[in-house]
Amino acid sequence: MAVDSLNFPAKPPADPNLDMGLALVAQQRKERLIQTVKIGVVWVGLIIFLIALLLQFNFDPAYVFAHYRFVLEGMLITIGISMASIAAATVLALLGALGRLSHNPIAQGVSGFYVSLVRGTPLLIQIYIIYLGLPQIGSTLNSMGYSEIGRLFTLTAVQSGILALSLNYGAYMTEIFRAGIQSIGHGQREAAESIGMSRWQIMRRVILPQAVRVIIPDIGNQFIAMQKDSAQVSVMGIWEMTYRANRFARQDSKFMEMFVVAAAFYWLLTIVSSWLEGMLERRMAHAYER
Amino acid sequence: MHMSDNAIISVTDLHKWFGMLHVLKGISFSVQPKEVLVIIGRSGSGKSTLLRCLNFLEEPSSGTINVAGQSVVTGPGIRLNHQKVVALRLNTGMVFQEFNLFPHMTVLENVIEGLCTVKRMPKDKAIPIGEKYLEKVGMMDKRDVHPIRLSGGQKQRVAIARALAMEPKVMLFDEPTSALDPELIGEVLDVMKKLAYEGTTMVVVTHEMAFACDVADRIIYIDHGLIVEDGVPDQLFSNPQDERTRQFLEPIRKTHKF
Repeated sequence: MAVDSLNFPAKPPADPNLDMGLALVAQQRKERLIQTVKIGVVWVGLIIFLIALLLQFNFDPAYVFAHYRFVLEGMLITIGISMASIAAATVLALLGALGRLSHNPIAQGVSGFYVSLVRGTPLLIQIYIIYLGLPQIGSTLNSMGYSEIGRLFTLTAVQSGILALSLNYGAYMTEIFRAGIQSIGHGQREAAESIGMSRWQIMRRVILPQAVRVIIPDIGNQFIAMQKDSAQVSVMGIWEMTYRANRFARQDSKFMEMFVVAAAFYWLLTIVSSWLEGMLERRMAHAYER
Repeated sequence: MHMSDNAIISVTDLHKWFGMLHVLKGISFSVQPKEVLVIIGRSGSGKSTLLRCLNFLEEPSSGTINVAGQSVVTGPGIRLNHQKVVALRLNTGMVFQEFNLFPHMTVLENVIEGLCTVKRMPKDKAIPIGEKYLEKVGMMDKRDVHPIRLSGGQKQRVAIARALAMEPKVMLFDEPTSALDPELIGEVLDVMKKLAYEGTTMVVVTHEMAFACDVADRIIYIDHGLIVEDGVPDQLFSNPQDERTRQFLEPIRKTHKF
């Protein structure tokens, strides 16, 4: 018996009633659009309601219009600190996750210790330790004659903020990365092993590209949370949005006005971020669409 | 046993423990070049574990495995030599029950991944090779789609092309049709038959007895981690020597004529 030609299933014939399908798709699209518009109307209604409510209680819109620009100018610093921190945190999280999943006891111990210590202490305390505590070590080293090293322990407020946020979020994101890597089925690793790939090649070419898609929504969540947690760096006198709002709020006792403005800008920022994250998510889903 | 110097696979006294479970209890056999060896046995008999030990997806507890001259010795206290394992894996191609295509890569990218990443071949040289093997399994028209758009049978044919593209000396098949709908099994078996007639050395774990009977040069029956029968299909199906083999084959013997 010989197999000369292979008989693979033939393609089905073209459907003559394609128009009906197209009409159904158009109908569904229209219904979805109408639903979106209705939800939008509810949102606008709620915003108008909140503004109206504020205006009932001695809220000074003129003050807001006079000072919102001052708060807005701090947004670039908020964005800058958050972006730098999320980038550094992602690197830390990847290393942390690889450490947690490694068989090496040192790597496992170090990453487990890092996650436990950082997750177990408040961000605000971490900021204080890095900004106010570390210079103490620096000055001791200075007096011992190691001024080169000692200088490294005195960080500017912005450097301290980025370091604290990256360390803190790196620890939370380590767990996200670990779960993402573990969510990729064992068969993927086996298939890669069977064509001779090394452990590092498997991680880089097979596991991580799939894991990243799984964890993009979580990273997006962390990024949004970080933008708001970056408000805590205002305690070091960094001129970001919260600090700026606080200044005028106290000076003129316009607390509601200035903090509502700051809150609105944070909100706007997170709306844009989650929209960007959604775009990224859809782009990465490309390979998984039928 | 068919031990000889020009065997392309030889396995000597292979043991595998999972915790306290002794799955393979001292297995030795060899495969000649161009031979098609089919391994049959009940669920849990150890046949899949045996196949997976051949390319070290499972690390044997002890024993020696030699594929195309690359020998790896395992045993308590012996540290596995990863370089040797990778070299051995390059001599073997593996096809899985669950296909395990890389979902984030297109069909062609799946097939050339090993060439580009492991063999460090430039993409423009790897693509013609990938296309050649996609042609062979009849999947050229799907070269740029992602696996999610394929049927099970199509996925398995791409998986076969991915293994073939590395041009291994031996092809291993681990129940390649068990996850397929009945009407899709034929297209995969057709590809495997074609490979067999072209002289590919194959080790196949399967429940497809008709395939075993038609295509196998030799069949091994495994029971509780031991080889209890080893012979040509006609002899094994018509006159099994061992009582357990006779029982296992009884339902098939009723429906087939040998």
